[in-house]
Amino acid sequence: MKRPKPDFESQLDYELKFHIDKLTEEKIAAGIPPDEARRQAVLKFGGVEQFKEELRDVRGSRFLETLLSNLRGAVRVACKRPSLSLTIIATLALGIGANTAVFSAIDAILLRPMPFPNGDQLMQITQYSSKGKGGAIPAAPARVEDWNRMNSTFQAITGYYTQDVAETSGILPEKITQAWVAPRFFEVWGVAPALGRSFLQEEERGGGGSLAVISDHLWRRRFGASPDAVGRILRNGAESFRIVGVMPASFLFPNRDVEFWTPVPLNAPVMRTRNANWYTIFGRLKPGVTLAQARSDIAVVQSQLGKQYPQTDADLHTRVESLKKVTVGDSGRSLWILFGAVTMLLLIACTNIAALLLARTTERQREIAIRSSLGASRGSILAQLLTEIFVLALAGAAAALAVAAGTSHLFQTMARNLPRVDEIAPNARLVLYTVACAAVTTLLCGLFPAIRATRHTLNESLAHGGRTQVAGRNPLQWALSGLQVALAVILLAGAGLLLRSFDSLAHVSPGFESAHVLTLRISASWAESVDFNRTRQRINRDIEALGSIPGVEGAATSGTLPGLPSGTTSELAIVDAPVEPGRKIMAASHNVSPGYFAAMRIPLLAGRDCPEQPMGAALVNRNFADAYMAGRLPMGNHLQFVPASPYLMPGEIRGVVSNAREEGIEQDPVPIVYWCNSAPTPMPVFLVRTRGEPMAMAEAVRRKIHQVEPARSVYEVMPLEQHLSDALAENRLRTELLTFFALTAVSLACIGLYGTLSYVVSIRRREVGLRLAMGAARRQIVLQFLREALRVSLFGCAAGLILAALFTRVLNGMLYGVSSLDALTFGGVAILMLLTAALSAWMPAMRAAQLEPMQVLREE
Amino acid sequence: MPNEKSDLLQGTLDMLILKIVELGPVHGYGIAQRIEQISNDVLQVQQGSLYPALHRLEKRGWLKAEWGESDNGRTAKFYSLSAKGRKQLADEVSNWNRLAGAVAEILRTRSAEAQL
Repeated sequence: MKRPKPDFESQLDYELKFHIDKLTEEKIAAGIPPDEARRQAVLKFGGVEQFKEELRDVRGSRFLETLLSNLRGAVRVACKRPSLSLTIIATLALGIGANTAVFSAIDAILLRPMPFPNGDQLMQITQYSSKGKGGAIPAAPARVEDWNRMNSTFQAITGYYTQDVAETSGILPEKITQAWVAPRFFEVWGVAPALGRSFLQEEERGGGGSLAVISDHLWRRRFGASPDAVGRILRNGAESFRIVGVMPASFLFPNRDVEFWTPVPLNAPVMRTRNANWYTIFGRLKPGVTLAQARSDIAVVQSQLGKQYPQTDADLHTRVESLKKVTVGDSGRSLWILFGAVTMLLLIACTNIAALLLARTTERQREIAIRSSLGASRGSILAQLLTEIFVLALAGAAAALAVAAGTSHLFQTMARNLPRVDEIAPNARLVLYTVACAAVTTLLCGLFPAIRATRHTLNESLAHGGRTQVAGRNPLQWALSGLQVALAVILLAGAGLLLRSFDSLAHVSPGFESAHVLTLRISASWAESVDFNRTRQRINRDIEALGSIPGVEGAATSGTLPGLPSGTTSELAIVDAPVEPGRKIMAASHNVSPGYFAAMRIPLLAGRDCPEQPMGAALVNRNFADAYMAGRLPMGNHLQFVPASPYLMPGEIRGVVSNAREEGIEQDPVPIVYWCNSAPTPMPVFLVRTRGEPMAMAEAVRRKIHQVEPARSVYEVMPLEQHLSDALAENRLRTELLTFFALTAVSLACIGLYGTLSYVVSIRRREVGLRLAMGAARRQIVLQFLREALRVSLFGCAAGLILAALFTRVLNGMLYGVSSLDALTFGGVAILMLLTAALSAWMPAMRAAQLEPMQVLREE
Repeated sequence: MPNEKSDLLQGTLDMLILKIVELGPVHGYGIAQRIEQISNDVLQVQQGSLYPALHRLEKRGWLKAEWGESDNGRTAKFYSLSAKGRKQLADEVSNWNRLAGAVAEILRTRSAEAQL
């Protein structure tokens, strides 16, 4: 038995052919000659192709075929009008590209889990004291072990601290960042070394000597990626570490600078002190445990410890937060604002395209009418029109992907210190996202024009020639133009505010002179802090050496970089004054060496600078003196920390200096106490005031330090201004990007206005021609069209400003020295928008007035 | 879309097909012949138009289709009634009878009025 092939078309052919064959046989049996019989049979059966079409409709098998034929048609149409197609593709490439670029950052930074197995289980635990201002305090190793042992919600809890040391096994000391880690460190991350092994349990407890796991980066740089690296020795002065493993390249924790991890020996006596401030703490939750459960669990554990060790633990509280949230911080807001901006940009691009397509529908009216008279349903024409746009949108999306891939580096260069910025890279999710964008834009730009195009009935369109069509007011086109103007105004207002804010930041006087200051650090280990005096002598020796370099005007140290938040607000007491109940003395603490104020050019207002033997001395800034010591002479009073600490000695106030924005350029000066201490830690920041260009001194500085400290390395040699500018990177990124988006939006809106007015002029040629022929002045024609365009722009502007007043609220807290409703900015935006709108309307309006009336009228 | 055509005629054709198929598996040509014979050429349909109806009924699950051997040994597609189709046929027949009864009633009333 011969059967047809299993596909639908063959079976259909077979079934229909069988019927016609049978009919033919029947006619032949009735005595009709075969040829004639066949003809009559076919006639009786009816149009085979027509039934096949109907059958395909019934079966729904037409879908793919229709899609393919629509796609073919769409490509043909796109190629037939290359300039329009290219305009649409380019507009979408920009619109979707900018959108995808920002989305790639949002995806990498905010949406994707941290790049560790089950990254959502990773938590940071911080401890803070209920006294003072609640800043996080690094935890003691003993307490980390207690938490790990007593909790019931974490798989494991661990901690680390880092230091920049000099690796001295090479010719020159090389600065590398070392992370000292608590037991279970690699277990918590869930990442195993790519080569070798991590630490064994007994090694983490202090057996087996000093070991190290090194980073992929160090492995490649120092050992040429050789497998022999395992077993080699790293040296830091007298200390040495045997390499047991190499981490994979993706492991960049706690940050991308860390080059090797070493276990803290757990059995050392210091590990039992409960008031050591060492570790940053992380833990991995057990599966299925919620953040709230973990929080209350750790809180219970800590309160038990508080009862057990009332002296050290009673006052401590804990906070548990997901690692992702801690890492991302509040950079999310900037990113979402940018995303909102690019989404508006994409909307403008869509309205632009919609307006273009609307103008074209008139030209295609006849074609559509003919197709529908040939039996195409409205749905199928709609599908065809939408497919035409979808093809262009897909092409635009492909170009957009290229744009986004190109700009993924942009984030890395523009905002190096944005968290997780290394993870921004093109991937499959982005491809999906752009395709989704293409689909949405297709509907946004295409649906309106397509519905409009298919609404007119057949007779109407066929009866009218293209030219004689009555020129309507085209409210839809104008509404789209107005919408574009409104959206552009919102973006422009946002960008304007950020620009004004950035400008006032640039002109703020920080109270110190940041130009001509070179900053550097010298490698050191925390272990050196055991011998305070020796460390201080070493640092004073370094300061002196730096100061003796020709071309250097002065050198000093500070615990933190001036002008960058130190986050060290603490409570103080003035020993010699009666305590005022209910009034806390809160101030930022900075540790500076003698010569700091001279090097930073912070004027001394009263008293004297730090003495050469500086311990036990302090200076305060004017804000502090005004706020807490009004009406008294500050000099001679003694300050001490609350609660008193054995590590932090009281100090006598020796002088008052003028206010400086030590805690961030965008922050008003806070009360500050400068403790005279050149070596608060073994690794303070060195500040060198140079006569000329600071970086020109870098090599001399390096050489000098190598001479004095042959076993240490110098690193982070850069101008102070660079640090200050890096601190504004996120601010600059959003300002520059938003400005770029806003300018793009304005140009798109202008192109839209230009296009719409050109179109309106073109379909009203006859009217204009007639009026000119009847003696209208050309000036009147120009004014009439200009007025029309300006009226729409004015409406758009007004709507945009109202919306902007609502939207710019999201910028609150990001603005410096300008309100989110700044009248100057809003007014400037309106004027700028209206001027550019007038300019872009000028050309089409002039063209209208230059029509030759006779020629126009003859065209009919 | 096919549904935009006369619903009455289409519904009638569907019912006729179901009725003929009820007697046993039959191919499209067989159905066309039966319609022609039974209706004595009153129902003038192009025979091809049968197929969209057949496929639609199959898609709704009222008909089952199978490839089988016809009387002269050629392969043909045979349609037969499904359980669902049997129920549908019963519904349509009773609907039709009610409609036909109502129409006949109206026509009788009209002729009675005309006599007055």
